[in-house]
Amino acid sequence: MSTGGNEERKNPPPETKHSLWLRRAVIASFWAVVAFLGLPVWWKTTAIYRADLPLQDMTAWANGQVCKPIFPIHIAVQAPLLPHDAHHLIHATQQTLNDLSDFPAHQLRLVFAEPPQPANASQQVVADGSGTAELDDTVALAVRLIPVETGATPRSQLQPFLATLDIYYSPSQIPSESSTNSPLATYIAQELHQLYAQERVRLSGLYSNAASQSESLSPELAVQLQRDSARAFKYAPTYHLTFSLFTPTSTPSAWDIEAALRQYMNPILESFSGISNFTIDTQVQLYANFSPSIRQPEYDNDAKAWTIFKEDVGGFINAAEWPLSPSIGRGPTINFALYVPDEAQSPLFVQGSRDNSWLVPQWGGLMILNPQSYQATLTKEALVPAMQVFSTQLSSLLGLPQTPASLPLRISTLIRIHATSLLFSASSTLGALAQVYQKMPTIPVPDPVAKSVDLSLAHLHRACELLRDGRFQDALENARTADGEAEKAFFERSMVGQVYFPDEHKVAVYLPLLGPVAVPLVMAALKEIKSGIAAVKGR
Amino acid sequence: MLSFLSFLLFHALIACAYASPDYHERLLLRPLPQDALLASFNFRSNETAAAYEQQNFRLFPRSLGQILQHAHTKELHLRFSVGRWDAENWGQRPWYGAREGSNGVELWAWIEASSEDEAFARWLALVNNLSGLFCASLNFIDATKTIRPVISFDPEGDHAGTSNLHLLHGILPHEVVCTENLTPFLKLLPCKGKAGISSLLDGHKLFDAAFQTMAIDVRPVCETPGQNCVVEMEQTVDMVLDIARSKRPRDNPIPRPRPIEEIECDTSKSYNAPDTCYPLDKKTEPGWKLTEVFGKPLRGACPLTAAEGPESETLCINAPPERTIEVNTTGHYTKSLSASDTLRCYKLPTGAELDLVLPEQRMTTGLIRGQPHLYAARSINGHGQERGSVQAVIKNPSPTDAVEFAYLESLPWFMKPYLHTLRAHVSTSSEDPLKETYYRPAVDRVRGTHLELRLVIPPASTLILTYDFEKAILRYTEYPPDANRGFDAPPAVIRILGPFQSADRKGLYLRTTPLLLSLPTPDFSMPYNVIILTSTVMALGFGNIFNLLVRRFVGADEVPAAGGLKGLIQGRIQRVKGRFGKA
Repeated sequence: MSTGGNEERKNPPPETKHSLWLRRAVIASFWAVVAFLGLPVWWKTTAIYRADLPLQDMTAWANGQVCKPIFPIHIAVQAPLLPHDAHHLIHATQQTLNDLSDFPAHQLRLVFAEPPQPANASQQVVADGSGTAELDDTVALAVRLIPVETGATPRSQLQPFLATLDIYYSPSQIPSESSTNSPLATYIAQELHQLYAQERVRLSGLYSNAASQSESLSPELAVQLQRDSARAFKYAPTYHLTFSLFTPTSTPSAWDIEAALRQYMNPILESFSGISNFTIDTQVQLYANFSPSIRQPEYDNDAKAWTIFKEDVGGFINAAEWPLSPSIGRGPTINFALYVPDEAQSPLFVQGSRDNSWLVPQWGGLMILNPQSYQATLTKEALVPAMQVFSTQLSSLLGLPQTPASLPLRISTLIRIHATSLLFSASSTLGALAQVYQKMPTIPVPDPVAKSVDLSLAHLHRACELLRDGRFQDALENARTADGEAEKAFFERSMVGQVYFPDEHKVAVYLPLLGPVAVPLVMAALKEIKSGIAAVKGR
Repeated sequence: MLSFLSFLLFHALIACAYASPDYHERLLLRPLPQDALLASFNFRSNETAAAYEQQNFRLFPRSLGQILQHAHTKELHLRFSVGRWDAENWGQRPWYGAREGSNGVELWAWIEASSEDEAFARWLALVNNLSGLFCASLNFIDATKTIRPVISFDPEGDHAGTSNLHLLHGILPHEVVCTENLTPFLKLLPCKGKAGISSLLDGHKLFDAAFQTMAIDVRPVCETPGQNCVVEMEQTVDMVLDIARSKRPRDNPIPRPRPIEEIECDTSKSYNAPDTCYPLDKKTEPGWKLTEVFGKPLRGACPLTAAEGPESETLCINAPPERTIEVNTTGHYTKSLSASDTLRCYKLPTGAELDLVLPEQRMTTGLIRGQPHLYAARSINGHGQERGSVQAVIKNPSPTDAVEFAYLESLPWFMKPYLHTLRAHVSTSSEDPLKETYYRPAVDRVRGTHLELRLVIPPASTLILTYDFEKAILRYTEYPPDANRGFDAPPAVIRILGPFQSADRKGLYLRTTPLLLSLPTPDFSMPYNVIILTSTVMALGFGNIFNLLVRRFVGADEVPAAGGLKGLIQGRIQRVKGRFGKA
């Protein structure tokens, strides 16, 4: 290729060893600065702080490998029997119960309790709860065996406001020593099994998270349970209740809500006080019109009433104009809206029914109240139907099961359900956090996150142990803390910032400086390596 | 003078009737010179302190009440204002300036807290929540815009039972007040703009006004100290409408000249001809109707107001007795006259519309306007991007009384005053009018300047207050969008301390206009240019030094034959040359 110049080309004199090594030393020192000063400084200054998280524990919790919650429900049996007979009866009943059980985590455990007053206690209805007072606080239900002479036996009665099941039997039904199968034991076992049927279904639903229903469950019941759980609010330590009076005119402009709430709402809130706290606020809103998207009420001649269309019920609340903003503070707001129609459009009903209250899932309840007389103030008496509706709606919005009939039993069921769901939700939050940590190496993880995770794990362990001991209330407290801490860790603000900072951006910033600097450095190094190799080969 | 008295009396009348837990509203209309009309809306609702604490809200809005309780705010004053009160023409301000705000949004509140830090944290919670409620950028009131005034504000409410109250004050002069602020304002009213005088409030007219201010004031009021307390919320809207402008129909808003036949011409002018006309000032009051001026009908009374007594008369007009006023309604209304017949009040019918019709009329008498206690104007002087000076001119029109007042400036941190250049000068006296100075200097990016002065101005004289300031250079990211427009500096708040006293605890105030401060604005593509330029320079320097150190220097004739890319290209060129040479 080379054509050669007109002048003669001379070769440069051979390089001295000294200058050759000097050049190599210069290049090497530049590279040393880059490698030992530049890179570490760059690494240090652009590094993202990531606190250590116990990833394995977190994933194990999320996969359910650490804790399989079990629900030992202690049931005290009080029987006016000799200890020997009683033990035999309990043993037989327990045997039957174990055979009936289709959900192994849910264990009904019978224990014998000394009857409080052996003599003529049977006829005395214990109204003040003294019958269960001396029992251990882990006891969820007391079964009282009461011998009677008359009436069909065995029969049972559940106390609506006590965690007590009364079983009436005739003394002849006490199983003898020899018999293994006794009708009374079977009866008690079946009663108890039935009592906890709904709880078992809901707990097992939480367990598998799929709709794996046990065979004993009818499809209607399954649908009902599904609907109930879709309605209910997610558990929160605090709920804000807002009671609002809406009217399209200016009457009524006041209501005796304070007294009505005190009488009708406070008792139910008190029974829930072990689960959550509640704040209450009320408001009166006049001139509250329907939103323009729904049709105005029409007069129905047959029913002699004004009706609104069934399909408009969903748009009844004029969210744009009615001030139903959530309350300030942590926790969700449950809204209860009482709508008093215009006097000219009263009575107002939903088309096709005389039912004028409905529940908006995970939002609250609504009722149309057609007062007897239109006065400036709605009296407490006029508010009674509304309060009854609202308290029913409140219990279903809080996820209270509809059976059994005893309120303390239902509340203790709710405690177990909440404790379990919080346990699972905290675990899955921790699992998700572990995944985020592993999958996104660019997000910073500050120390408070690690602290929250540790706290959450500790409380999860504690909650799991407490569940095993049957101390459900304490388990709920711990599960609540665990869930709160897990959420706090997952939603830590400073973790969000860097996620969307793309690598292209970095290239655009680095290239103008690093490109021109890197080219001579790399070229010089390559050239030197090449000549070095050539020299080695040529030798 | 009588009519002036009536104006004073009227406001006193509204002020003293707040003991019972109820709802009151009143609209005062007052024609102003140059075909302007002052409409002063006042709504006041009470809630007993017990119900308020228990969050049983009836007349008090729940949304606001919860915010105030959450932030432990005991007294709140919030203002949204647009425009300027033309004191030279319009006279005394409505409510003596006590329900007026500086242009944009102004907020001050008394917050209960055990320490200053806690008070500030609660203040931030308050502004953030109010920001959501009123659709305003109140959340931009941060530490740099918050001051703690010393003498300019006193609580209006009774705070006997609470200790550790902290007063915090913030102004957003740049905020554009518009319809989205009026809608939540109306929602706080029990009758919600659907009945009562609030049915006249309409965003199109309100924000088209020459001057408008919306105020919300919450304060506890007690009959006796600590007993029978109510939490009172007062909502006020004052607007000055140009009658001719607001009478234009909404579908045809372009002003058109009147037909020449309707115009009275000045025939003394030399150029007067059938087609040229110098219009004479009409000596008549313009005719107007409520529906025309407000664009909406007045939909009867709000049923929550008192059924009888002076409180039931919710529509009042302050005009000379000879002014004809016709009432158009199908419902039953009553009318009463007071203050030498210059104040006509109407009790509105419930459920029926009412309209006031004032025909065009040639007047022989007029109302005497109340004279302001002080006139104030403020401006920025100087030139250049580095320094400037502020000059405030305050005039005392009274021939007999020396006026003592507090002057409050809350300046942004990037406007740094030199306090040693502060001069207060009165032409008529050699005495120093500056009695007291409270000054808290700015800290860059942390807090703004707080300057509060107590001054006395002798009768019939003018006080000139000047100081120099330096403009800071902002960081690149600190410039707002449209940085070349300039930055707004909040108005000065002037509170009259004496000898005039207000009848209630509201105080006498006036505010200057805000200032537009132009700061040196950079070219915003600069950072990219800087990155590229410095990188190039550094790469150049590095390359030279590196090559000098690494390259081997040989004689020009000792250069090895070009290899690589260069050799390849040279070879090609030679070959092409050779081929052409042959041909």
